[in-house]
Amino acid sequence: MAGILKHLAGIETPETLVFGITGRQGRSKSRLMKKYGTHIIAGCTPGKGGQEIDGVPVFNSAAEAVEAFPRLNTAVLFVPAGAVKKAAMDAIDAGLAFLVLAADGVPVHDEIILKEYAATRDTVYLGPNTVGLLDTDGYLFGLIGGSATWAKRNYLPGKVGVISRSGGLSQLLGAFHCRPDLPGLRSDGSFGPLWGDDFPGVSAVVCVGGDPVPGVSMLDAARAFEKDPRTEVMAVYGETGTMQENDLARAVIAGEISKPIVVFLGGKFTQAGVAQSHAGAMIRNKEESWGAKKEALETAGITVVERPDAVFGAVLGKLD
Amino acid sequence: MSALPEYRTRVILEGEGVPVVQGIFLETGSAPPDALPGTPVYLKAQIPGATSRKAQGLVRRVDSIDDIPIELKAIEQAADGAMEGILIASGLDIIKEYYAACTLDFGSEERLPGGVLVFSAEGGSGVEERSGSLVSIPFLLIAPPSPGDIMDALPSSVPEASAESLASLLHGMIGTFLKYRLTVLEANPVGLLADGSVTVVDCRAEFEKSAVRKGDRDLFMIPGSKGSADLTPLERKVAAINAADPSGTGFFRQNREVPPAGALRVATNLCGGGGKMLWEMTTGYRPSIFTMNESDTSGGLSAFKSCRILKVILSQEGAQVLILTGSGMAFQNQHHLAAAVWKALRESPTPLPCLLRFGGTDENRARELFERVSGSLPVQVRTYPAEIFPNAMADDLEVIALSEALSVDPPPPAQGEPFLTVEVPPGRIFFYPELWPFEESPPSVTACPTGFLKWEDGTLSVDTEARCIGCLMCECAALLDGNSEIRIELDMPEEVD
Repeated sequence: MAGILKHLAGIETPETLVFGITGRQGRSKSRLMKKYGTHIIAGCTPGKGGQEIDGVPVFNSAAEAVEAFPRLNTAVLFVPAGAVKKAAMDAIDAGLAFLVLAADGVPVHDEIILKEYAATRDTVYLGPNTVGLLDTDGYLFGLIGGSATWAKRNYLPGKVGVISRSGGLSQLLGAFHCRPDLPGLRSDGSFGPLWGDDFPGVSAVVCVGGDPVPGVSMLDAARAFEKDPRTEVMAVYGETGTMQENDLARAVIAGEISKPIVVFLGGKFTQAGVAQSHAGAMIRNKEESWGAKKEALETAGITVVERPDAVFGAVLGKLD
Repeated sequence: MSALPEYRTRVILEGEGVPVVQGIFLETGSAPPDALPGTPVYLKAQIPGATSRKAQGLVRRVDSIDDIPIELKAIEQAADGAMEGILIASGLDIIKEYYAACTLDFGSEERLPGGVLVFSAEGGSGVEERSGSLVSIPFLLIAPPSPGDIMDALPSSVPEASAESLASLLHGMIGTFLKYRLTVLEANPVGLLADGSVTVVDCRAEFEKSAVRKGDRDLFMIPGSKGSADLTPLERKVAAINAADPSGTGFFRQNREVPPAGALRVATNLCGGGGKMLWEMTTGYRPSIFTMNESDTSGGLSAFKSCRILKVILSQEGAQVLILTGSGMAFQNQHHLAAAVWKALRESPTPLPCLLRFGGTDENRARELFERVSGSLPVQVRTYPAEIFPNAMADDLEVIALSEALSVDPPPPAQGEPFLTVEVPPGRIFFYPELWPFEESPPSVTACPTGFLKWEDGTLSVDTEARCIGCLMCECAALLDGNSEIRIELDMPEEVD
């Protein structure tokens, strides 16, 4: 059970701590993750150490949990937005190598401080504002799929690595590559089934989140998929705001990323300076605009599509 | 981002020891002061986010206290109800104007994110046209610069005698910026006085609401200030719904523009940020569509809350059709969402014909539900599989919008005393034993996904260890497979029903 985390954070076997496991969301999502196959061996809620939730022991801090279970190496944080910075720093200080920060609405100051803090330490984190990561090797962090049954049914092992700044589109780009007879836009412009039972499948789904300062960037995720032997092509949802698509394009031009990429680029009609549902999608300068990103990506040889049902045919074309 | 006007920005700067020009704040409608801090003074309307105040007559110089009442009146008229009050600020003999601002850099592959101190020795009006004079001093939020570091980075055009006090002022600005987690803090001008001291003459800030700490809310989010007064009545209703049920996201904002003649007026329930983006990518190519509202109902909200917000969305005056679609695959159970849509359409006094796309957990059951209930709704409803996106759905908008309403009686209101009042999410469950006089468990109880509703010895009870998640499955099953033995009543903010 190595999967994408080996290339993202150097983790062979994820052993997981859940922050906020005593809360409603933490508890229900822990059940989902465990049922899917994730090894959740400890929980953490300050002041609630000593409890057990569904057989999982709860600790007051990450350090206490790591002392009890030294093999812990990953954590998922289901804590309120205002508590994310402190909890993440706690996890970083405890030496955990990979974190998922699910919360939406984390103040951007906290996001920046966290990025600065993690830069000098050996921790990689996904989010904030992410539905998480699913690897078809058998682990899931976050809330992808909504239920373990649905996640197991919809995400099947295969060749496509998914990277997305949107939670819903992360799940869609993953699941639709695993649907028999999926209708979509074909290379000849017609619309209809793209494949029969021989769907491409997915290696992993990585939602980098919709915020302006993500921990794992689109390029970080692409680097991991580049090294992942299962992945033959990357399907990406990008949009306006931040420099993530621009950075990805530069890495392709530099030869750092060589696997084919298809990007569905949202935000064609987004106006500069206007706040978007995804806080990270606001255009702050010319390079962050849809047009500039499209040009940068296409100059790098990346296929850019403008409608969601065009992604899958384009991916199929790359696999041929 | 939300804007903090000058008079409130001064408060947080002064708190961090930053010198600001003397001033008196007068709330709108309050009496003129008996004395001034000196003359001349400048009267400045305090409107969050306002720009070009001078040109609009919102800033006036006054040389005598006798002229204050008439000038206050003139500003109040020019502000047209938008201002929070008027700041009366002392005039100063300034020998040089500087510009200073703190902002954020979100970083990229090449550089870490952090803060940026922007400074110009050529401040004052029109500084944006002198961008060449701006000096950017980046810093880490976890390691902000000392006054000495700032002094070293100042341009040589700053007189040596004032460099120390200027560096101290800028250091105080950074301290304020970090303490309140502001996104922008701007002082323009910072005035250099004859004695070498410096002081902030005008200032403003921007902030994220989510970054405001509990103890600072009175200063940052004033009830009745421009931000809250700007809400439409329907937006206020959604705010009330959110306050009563904080589960998930319940964003709703109406389009302030006037629909062009002949445009198709589409109400939307778009789930998730990606959903909004997909709709925007669709309507950008179709100028004949006028989007009545933005909405985002996602993040695990209860069906109770979805239903309430949908009723608000449906009640928009002039809307012709509703489109509901997500960003792709939701992690919320789509069957529960479908129940919310069905209930809203049945109970709303202003139902709209709909295009519905369900994507995510139990998406097929969601569509099946609508196939079963289509005859009980007063409007035409078309559902789509998850593989069909808004760009294709939009082709059907006009046909469905122009479809005729169906003659269906609305369900009667629930009668009698509720069996149970659920606090979170808020709702009332009514049970009518006379409609289910059988020993076996009714469909409404077996449909409860959490086991909250129990059937024991022919009697309804609740499992206190389980929880009601507000999914509406009990009511759906009662209507479809039972004898309407369970009804759910959801309160709405007064005016909607």
